[in-house]
Amino acid sequence: MFLGLDVGGTFTDGVAVSAGKIISTVKTPTTHNNLLECILRAIDKVVLDTGNKNFERIALSTTIVTNALVEDKIDKVGLCIMPGPGMNIKDALPKEPYIVSGYIDHRGHEVARPTEEEVMSACRHFSSCDIFAISGKFAVRNPSYESMIADWIRKKVKPSHISLGARVSGSLNFLRRTNSAYYNGAVWRHFNQFATAVEDALLSRGIFGPVYVLKADGGTLPLAVAREFPVEAIFTGPAASVLGIMSLHPTRSPAVSLDIGGTTTDIALWQKGTPIFAEQGAKVAGYATSVRGFRLKSIGIGGDSFVRWEKNALKVGPMRYGPAMAVGGSKPTITDAMIASGLIEFGDKELALNAMKELALEGQTPYEVANMALDEAVTCIYQAVMSLLAEQEAEPVYRVEDIVQGRRINIEQILGVGGGATGLIPLVAKKMGLSYQLPDHGMVANAIGAAVARPTLDLTLRADTVKGFYTVAELGIKNRLPKSRFSLEDASLLAEQHLAELAKVTGIFLGETELIQAEEFNVIRGFNTVGKIITCRLQVKPGVLLPSKEVF
Amino acid sequence: MASQKLGLVFFPAFDWAISPAHPEREERLLYTRDQIVEEGLLDMPCIREYKPQIAQYKDLERVHIGVPDLSSLITDAHLVSAGGAIAAADAVMRREVDRAFALVRPPGHHAMRVVHGTRGFCTINIEAIMVEYLRKNYGIGKVAIVDTDVHHGDGTQDVFYHDPNTLFISFHQDGRTLYPGTGFTNEMGSPNAIGTTLNIPLPPGTTDAGLHEVLDHLILPVLNDFKPDIIINSAGQDNHYSDPLANMAITAQGYARLADKLKADIAVLEGGYSIENALPYVNVGIILAMARMDYSKVIEPDIATCPVQSSAVTRSISAIIKERQNMWATKEKLQQEAIAKAGDFWQRGRNIYYDDAGIDERQKEVVRLCPHCSGYVTIETEAYGMFGYKSAYIATIPNQACPTCQKAAYDAVYKAKKQGKQQLYFVQNKMEDRLEIL
Repeated sequence: MFLGLDVGGTFTDGVAVSAGKIISTVKTPTTHNNLLECILRAIDKVVLDTGNKNFERIALSTTIVTNALVEDKIDKVGLCIMPGPGMNIKDALPKEPYIVSGYIDHRGHEVARPTEEEVMSACRHFSSCDIFAISGKFAVRNPSYESMIADWIRKKVKPSHISLGARVSGSLNFLRRTNSAYYNGAVWRHFNQFATAVEDALLSRGIFGPVYVLKADGGTLPLAVAREFPVEAIFTGPAASVLGIMSLHPTRSPAVSLDIGGTTTDIALWQKGTPIFAEQGAKVAGYATSVRGFRLKSIGIGGDSFVRWEKNALKVGPMRYGPAMAVGGSKPTITDAMIASGLIEFGDKELALNAMKELALEGQTPYEVANMALDEAVTCIYQAVMSLLAEQEAEPVYRVEDIVQGRRINIEQILGVGGGATGLIPLVAKKMGLSYQLPDHGMVANAIGAAVARPTLDLTLRADTVKGFYTVAELGIKNRLPKSRFSLEDASLLAEQHLAELAKVTGIFLGETELIQAEEFNVIRGFNTVGKIITCRLQVKPGVLLPSKEVF
Repeated sequence: MASQKLGLVFFPAFDWAISPAHPEREERLLYTRDQIVEEGLLDMPCIREYKPQIAQYKDLERVHIGVPDLSSLITDAHLVSAGGAIAAADAVMRREVDRAFALVRPPGHHAMRVVHGTRGFCTINIEAIMVEYLRKNYGIGKVAIVDTDVHHGDGTQDVFYHDPNTLFISFHQDGRTLYPGTGFTNEMGSPNAIGTTLNIPLPPGTTDAGLHEVLDHLILPVLNDFKPDIIINSAGQDNHYSDPLANMAITAQGYARLADKLKADIAVLEGGYSIENALPYVNVGIILAMARMDYSKVIEPDIATCPVQSSAVTRSISAIIKERQNMWATKEKLQQEAIAKAGDFWQRGRNIYYDDAGIDERQKEVVRLCPHCSGYVTIETEAYGMFGYKSAYIATIPNQACPTCQKAAYDAVYKAKKQGKQQLYFVQNKMEDRLEIL
């Protein structure tokens, strides 16, 4: 039995899945002051409902990291950077860094060595810090200086935690890695306290299943690994619902999914059966990071969106003031419009009609104003889908072939989940001239997503056959190449081996892997090819644990 | 949306090369890509990345006449590279950004009006195509192009040689010591456009100091005097001290300060073949300078190997600055003399060598020195190229041509066709924005 929990803005949803069937779903209000409380309440309800507490796996999608940042429950971090030559990064960071000399160049050469003395003086500068973050430009090409500085700091001040930029992400972008490493350190203690509290509470209830934490890219991390990389546990809500859709309604055709909740609609794009990833990492507190996620757009249109007149135009959202009038709310909402127009049956229709009467102008029937409001909501969603498609298409590409062929996605269908989907999706589909699907259990797609999300890992292997070495930044290794004639194929095999090692260490089942980036360039001196630079990025394919057809 | 400072069209064409070991090959901008991405430059709020467009043949034909035709001489990469320059121009003209940098390849500044093949790694002239696009779509009149590549921009010079509204300034390593062996001070434009071609040949070993002397005392004052509507930088980077194909001694700081002072509206990458030691740093320096960011920390790791400028070089730079200042000050007089000497028509015969394609083109060019417009141009061209012997007779009608020149251009081509000495007959009609095959 798999248990999935999604701590949302309003509700915490729980789902238990066993032998391919949903055997329990629960909903409980989210207790923002103490997330542990609603998590445990949801678990207790599932245990009560199923009479079983032998979970094979408990997967959590929580707002704990987001909350820590919003509520400023973050630690002081001693941030040491090795920027080398280039942009002056100092003012682009969330915190004043200590600049250490020494740097690695774009080929991974150790150009200038940092000194132990300056690192000691960084430690004195950060004497009140118990957590450090270290980030060097091109450390992903050669992580040795970052490790060296970490060793010096450990020896001198024995901090609780050190985040290293190249471990947090193996991709190029010093700025993003530095921000990621900083935030990883900043939320480390808070997250670890939470993790310990969850583990203790489960043990005290006699629940021994392993706990996983959802990531923004839809993968899951064993709690022990998440403790080292808590920044990865940010923005998991939309990812959970995307994975839920994946298991509820697998589709190979290009599609757009809409998760229409109470406050927002989350939009994702689909191709070849998987959601499309964002090219760039997420922003945390306004700062660009290397945290990977799906290409998502969230707009302030949901079932509870407030409907009102503004300068002779009927406006919908983004604000909400509680539930629909049909269920006792005080202000007209989109849900009231859906009820009044007969799209859905929910709450008290009389009250919904009253809500529309409040809005109706002279000579307008409640039905007409309801349709106007729905039309406005559908138009907003439609425009957001179009702009997400345009963004995807405008994403820069670096090969002639990719430009000439373009990367337009011709959407063929719409997948709708969430509370507002039943009423609004048919209207959106009509406007776009597409067919639609409303999978069963769409109301708890997020918790289902958490329950069945497959654990993922990724790493980047970069080989320089001229220099005869390769690096895997995420593992902090720089080794000699195993053979002289080293090809892209050899590189991906070697990456596969290292990914398997990493999977073993982190307790993740390797499963199906995929190459998400592969580059091979000749290095030429004069007119002779003297070697190659090969980069390949391999990941455990994100997805759902069970083939959904058998599941539901 | 608030205007951002710099638009960046980055297109490294990772799947295009002239040939596998050619300097213009797949990984030329690999290390530059690594550096730009690693810096996080594309995340800066004052920099916005644009995707190149695919240029239309119509855009190309405002500048070029391909013999036998353009489509059999170019690849998709050329359309994307020209489209990159066009995307940069659009971003600036729509005021989405203050200025833009098209960091694209393949390059273009050795491609002349008539194209039989590839020369100096260039097949079509992406700056010239962009300039004519700006004129057609945004009504831009006076344009200044400053070519900062180490090689003389002979293609761009050729395209605008008879156009008094385009000021072409090129500094480069002296043509006696480097490809393409042109760009001397006596190449000043045809009589109606004398002075608007300004060549500044510099001695090998010129450093940042020498370059900035030229910039401060010659290029910037001339620009100030010409008052262009727009400034374009043909931003070649092979004046760098580590470049394998040339012998100059400019640093990333030198280039960044140049970009800072020049304040070009649009920069377009040209050459630069020190792909590992120079390009990553020079490009980051130029991007930061154009985005009005701090570039003081962009220093090459091997900066200690940059030579010092000799006193002989310093003296010869002072001399050339003085000579060129004089020319600029007296250009009206030079023009009157040249027109008086030439009479109604000015003509020249040339051999043009295509090093990449091994083609030797013979060309005769005739310009009508019209008192009312810049005058129509006829070109007779012949060459043994990749399609065997090819010849053509071409007339070009410039923008704002007078009715007499418009008619005379057609008459000339019809007459030539009647004589039948060539295989192909073209009228490049800029007034009507089309290339006609007669």
